Amino acid sequence: MSDGADTINTRRKGRITVALAVVTLAAVSVPAVIFAWTSSTEIRFVEQTDRAGLTHTHHTRLFRGKTGDVLHVFTSGGASVAIGDYDNDGFDDVFVTDSDIGRKCRLFHNNGNLTFTDVTAAAGVAGGNDQHSIVADAVWFDYDNDGREDLLVVRFGTPLLYHNEGHGKFKDVTASAGLNKFGNTIAAIAFDYDNDGYLDLLFGNYFQPADLLNLKTPHVLPNNLDNAINGGGVTLWHNTGKGSFVDATQQAGFDKHTGWTTDVGHGDFNNDGLQDVYLACDYGTDRIFFNNGNGTFREATEKAIGFDTKKGMNVDVADYDNDGWLDIYVTNITDEYMKECNMLWHNNGDGTFTDVSKETGTCATLWGWAAKFGDFDNDGWQDLFVVNGLRSAGKENYVSTLVNMIIQPGIDFSDLNNWPPVGNMTWSGFQKKKMFHNMGGQSFQEISSAAGVDNDRDGRGIGMADFDNDGRLDLYQTNVDQPSMFYRNVTERVGNWVQLKLIGTYANRDAIGARVKLTAGGLTQIREVNGGNGYAGQSMSRLHFGLGNASKVEAVEIHCREGQGIVSK
Amino acid sequence: MMRAIQFGHAAAALIVGLAAYGAPASPEASFQAAQKARATGDLTAALAGFETALALDPDNIRYGSEYRQAAIQAKEYERSLKFFEKLVADHPNSAKAHLNYGFAYVDKIPAAGSITQVILANTALTEFTRSIDISPSWIAYYTRGNSYLFWPKVFLRAPLGVADLEKAYGMQKAGPKRTYHVRVYISLGDGYWKTDNMDKARAIWTEGLREFPDNAQLKARLARNGDDLKTYIDNELDPNKRVDTNLQELWASE
Repeated sequence: MSDGADTINTRRKGRITVALAVVTLAAVSVPAVIFAWTSSTEIRFVEQTDRAGLTHTHHTRLFRGKTGDVLHVFTSGGASVAIGDYDNDGFDDVFVTDSDIGRKCRLFHNNGNLTFTDVTAAAGVAGGNDQHSIVADAVWFDYDNDGREDLLVVRFGTPLLYHNEGHGKFKDVTASAGLNKFGNTIAAIAFDYDNDGYLDLLFGNYFQPADLLNLKTPHVLPNNLDNAINGGGVTLWHNTGKGSFVDATQQAGFDKHTGWTTDVGHGDFNNDGLQDVYLACDYGTDRIFFNNGNGTFREATEKAIGFDTKKGMNVDVADYDNDGWLDIYVTNITDEYMKECNMLWHNNGDGTFTDVSKETGTCATLWGWAAKFGDFDNDGWQDLFVVNGLRSAGKENYVSTLVNMIIQPGIDFSDLNNWPPVGNMTWSGFQKKKMFHNMGGQSFQEISSAAGVDNDRDGRGIGMADFDNDGRLDLYQTNVDQPSMFYRNVTERVGNWVQLKLIGTYANRDAIGARVKLTAGGLTQIREVNGGNGYAGQSMSRLHFGLGNASKVEAVEIHCREGQGIVSK
Repeated sequence: MMRAIQFGHAAAALIVGLAAYGAPASPEASFQAAQKARATGDLTAALAGFETALALDPDNIRYGSEYRQAAIQAKEYERSLKFFEKLVADHPNSAKAHLNYGFAYVDKIPAAGSITQVILANTALTEFTRSIDISPSWIAYYTRGNSYLFWPKVFLRAPLGVADLEKAYGMQKAGPKRTYHVRVYISLGDGYWKTDNMDKARAIWTEGLREFPDNAQLKARLARNGDDLKTYIDNELDPNKRVDTNLQELWASE
């Protein structure tokens, strides 16, 4: 990463561009040494968790009573990671969550040499797991555009917002920010849905807003295992620009969604310059909403993707085939006893998507959780890493016990008391992670064993970043009730690369939602800055482009807002 | 007198009207009318006609089978289930009605979510069992045995499937050879394979191929080994794919 900012001149066009010259290219980095990339490059990672000082073990909340272990499994999703450069030193730092009462979340400062220092205590961001709340996810975002990444921690409970005070200190500003609504939030993204220059928040809520730690009713589980409508839906928080947020869920048109939202993702799916939304839902239909550009969204699920009955877990967004349209990847459950198949939604460019997961070889990843696209060998085609596994425990299999409950005529699935105790049984456990090498945008080849990432822990989140700024994307994998894993990318003879850090001036400072179109070696690629796409994980906000053999970037266009603000070099 | 004449006219008009609409006087006439309606694409009339025929002859396996095919065509899974539910309630000892009721659940499986598939599959088994309890038959044992094989191994149902299919095998060996008997050779072998008895699987498939030398499914199984065979059989037993539950082979072979 170059320290010197390389500002790109803007070519303004159209009446809107005056307002749209909002993104400056603060740094364009090209590796000092250019390696000759070949298509036979073998992607390889080595685990260096302890050596890097990134050791962290997650703990799921323990619940009391005879139904406690069922709730324990149902809430075992809160092992998450958020990557962000909180001190603006050019090296991405790591925030990881824990979930059991009294357990601490951790902030690891990147020392710049692939080692990290636990700075949690000094930063004051350890809290969140108390008698009323369970930490589930976290997002870095600069809500007040002061140039410092603030930290949002969402919970089964009320959220926490930490303002970055600088010098490694954070201040809890939740109360003044107005983020006081109770929800069982499992996912969050930051994006500027109304293009007012301030980052808003979209929460994905799993359970309905019932206090799981003080249950008033046992009817808190899904009322249908394929078409549940008693989940928590989503909450949209509009940033007022004055340090506070207001609930805009109904106003924006999200209030009709009552599914079990597991993940939320955003991107400009129809190339109109506006940020659209995809909701992955457990126990039923995923939802897609297009942005109307006036602070409201229109649901387009039926036409765009149709109604599914799967167990959606993850939303990641990328143009995997470099056709200029953002595609969407959703993990589901594809195990011995349930053959749902993931969904790789190929964007048809007309407001509709076609699932090509079977055709591309990305269908089966067992009990899937987070999935992230990233160009691990810098060949210009984004690869894919998927983590999986629900619960690795004893030899007995919970599924065979569970089926006896499921087939009982008229059984009320929502009643906790009807679910058999889990005890020490395994449920879709000991599953090998999956890594897919993108074969030119047409298909993917599974390479997890050769790449060294086929661990069998109970994965949840993925944080992807170039932690040592060597032009190779590294990975941090969180696991539930197990230690996290840090994988350093040691792929040799990778292609050339460029990373862009965008800084908004009139737009939101993080430039979330800005799109870069880059052409090199005859290949045009697009990336968008996102605010936390991917289940239980936020990845590096710098945009990473693999260039293959190309040693020169032919064109860069940066689009934001209405898609008219074009910056070129 | 005047009233009687008027009544007579009304009755005559009704009879003429029914004749004009092809109103059947027997279950077979209803069935044939329904078949015609289905052939012309009038699925609403076809379903109604099949239902009339079945109400009059609930144990007719052919009527039930053709009705279900029309229901699949019209995606009227719920209507079919409700109809058979009432039919077996009205005729609890009708083995073939229970069999077709079970098939109606199977017919809905590809259109359902993964958990609902489990529920439907299990309910289908319940109906197949009732059919066997009322009147054990080759088709009932074959159907239930084959259904068990669709369950993942973790649910430990494959041995039950093998037991049923062995019964069906014994029945078919005791009688004249029918073309549909090849199904038991295929499924029984699949059952042995699924219960990790590869030698018996190959033996029964080989025997089946001797009996039915042109059968492509038997040849395909015998030509495969290991993961290749697993992929092939898993694909054959994929609950997301529609199982052909058309029973016309039964009467076509008679």
